[in-house]
Amino acid sequence: MLFPTLGFLLFFLVVAAAMVVLGTRFAAKKAVLVVASYYFYAQWDWRFCFLLAGSSIVSYLAGRLIGASAEQRHRRIILGIAVTLHLGLLGVFKYFDFFILSANNLARLLGLEHELPFIEILLPVGISFFTFHGISYITDVYRGDVAVCRNPLDMLLYMSFFPQLVAGPIVRAAYFLPQLERPSTEPIPIAAALLLIAGGLFKKVVIANYLATGLVDPVFAAPTSYGGPDLLLATYGYAVQIYCDFSAYSDMAIALAALLGFRFPANFDQPYRAQRLREFWRRWHISLSTWLRDYLYKPLGGNRYGRLKTYRNLLLTMLLGGIWHGAGWKFVMWGALHGGGLAVERLIEPWLGRRSLTPAGKIVATLIVFHFVCFAWIFFRAEDFAVAWLYVRGLGAGWGDGLQQAGPFMAALIAIGMAGQFTSHALFERVATAFARVPSWGLGAMAGIVVALINALGPEGVAPFIYFRF
Amino acid sequence: MVAVERELPETPGPAAAPTADAIPLKLRRRGGTPRQVLALTLVGTLALALFASRDLPSWTDRLGDGPVAERVEALAHDWDRAMAALGLVKPHEALRSAIRRLLDWQWKSAP
Repeated sequence: MLFPTLGFLLFFLVVAAAMVVLGTRFAAKKAVLVVASYYFYAQWDWRFCFLLAGSSIVSYLAGRLIGASAEQRHRRIILGIAVTLHLGLLGVFKYFDFFILSANNLARLLGLEHELPFIEILLPVGISFFTFHGISYITDVYRGDVAVCRNPLDMLLYMSFFPQLVAGPIVRAAYFLPQLERPSTEPIPIAAALLLIAGGLFKKVVIANYLATGLVDPVFAAPTSYGGPDLLLATYGYAVQIYCDFSAYSDMAIALAALLGFRFPANFDQPYRAQRLREFWRRWHISLSTWLRDYLYKPLGGNRYGRLKTYRNLLLTMLLGGIWHGAGWKFVMWGALHGGGLAVERLIEPWLGRRSLTPAGKIVATLIVFHFVCFAWIFFRAEDFAVAWLYVRGLGAGWGDGLQQAGPFMAALIAIGMAGQFTSHALFERVATAFARVPSWGLGAMAGIVVALINALGPEGVAPFIYFRF
Repeated sequence: MVAVERELPETPGPAAAPTADAIPLKLRRRGGTPRQVLALTLVGTLALALFASRDLPSWTDRLGDGPVAERVEALAHDWDRAMAALGLVKPHEALRSAIRRLLDWQWKSAP
């Protein structure tokens, strides 16, 4: 069940009605949200619900056991077992086929006849996200950063809450579990939520979907058939597409949670306006980058053991972040580029200086970072490493051929997507404040008409979100 | 991927959960109730039913087989025809045709 569909709207209508009927019975509301979340997840494959429930039970029990144990060694063993179980589950579903394929290739190279049976394992949607939720909860309980969750219903809801279940944002236990202790007394920010939904729909249905079908998919499918200008515009197109696709999902998740009375953290903050690569990572998929910082980079030693180890930790963290997206050399390359980029940026920091840049310097810095990120996206998006390499080589050729695939409409979509990176946050706040004065039925009518218009502008059908596959 | 520079130098420190709410506090001060959320969802669904009826049949086509699904499909087609008779599908069709023209738009020098 995808957010921008009529099926989801009807589903949400039932959930919203249940929230009204249940009034102040907070425990019952949470139970309804758990049932709704499992129903939402079962729409992909009901068997995945057992994985989600299993992951929640492991997290809950590990949290209780860690909380009950006074001995540090026991706590560490429980943490190790629980994290291994979570990672094992993720590893089996995400990397098992890759390892079988690699082992068979190696066996063939060595002249061995026996091959391991290949089982095509279906990747459960959102498995990475609920695994990350589980690991962060257990680790935070171990570190004493979050109280042990004693209510199993709260743990089930934390792990399965449908707005963030399949593509994030990754909401930390310390942020979300306190919201489950007592009902929120804050008013529901209806106008801001509707603006996020409308903006998210426009980004996904119009910008991301048209860029995918009209430019990015055909050019990346056969890069040798196109000249440099098309390849360059398709690279910009993919940068805008993946941002609009992924941030749209986050925006809608944040808005849906808000409409149900819950707060979510920000996940994107105009990443392509970054003037440094590290700033890009503070603005892109914030919930994952901070997760990796706290549960991987820092435990590796962070920046505490000298320059060389800091560079190593950066590279390792980014490599693992790359491999998290999938088993393949293209993701390794993507991670290595970002890890290497961050390390080099840190290395030349004394030379760059910490003084603020001139306006021209800021533009140049933004352009450099944007083009570096775009270059790395080529490896991320291409079918495999070999195609990515052909693509990179093609960028330098065929500049006299003009544009075959990238028409003015595609260029306009890229321009609109990029313009969104530089609009002021104050504009969103002003519009949301103005709409907050409109009565709810008026907001509903406006939202319905806007959604109908966006739907008419978009292509037939709804393409799945890119990050569902991770 | 790592927001490294937020890390405090030389301090292992506890994991700092990201606490910046996506919707700023000042926008959360003015708002509504669950009842208003339900009302606006109902009104929004009605507005969609009125102005996006062209997409209803394709959605109901995906509901699968069976007598109930067939009945729903037939209702969706009837509803769309009724909305067309009222002229409510015109904005939808105008936008679809405008977007088709935009997709066909080519650079002047293109073959």
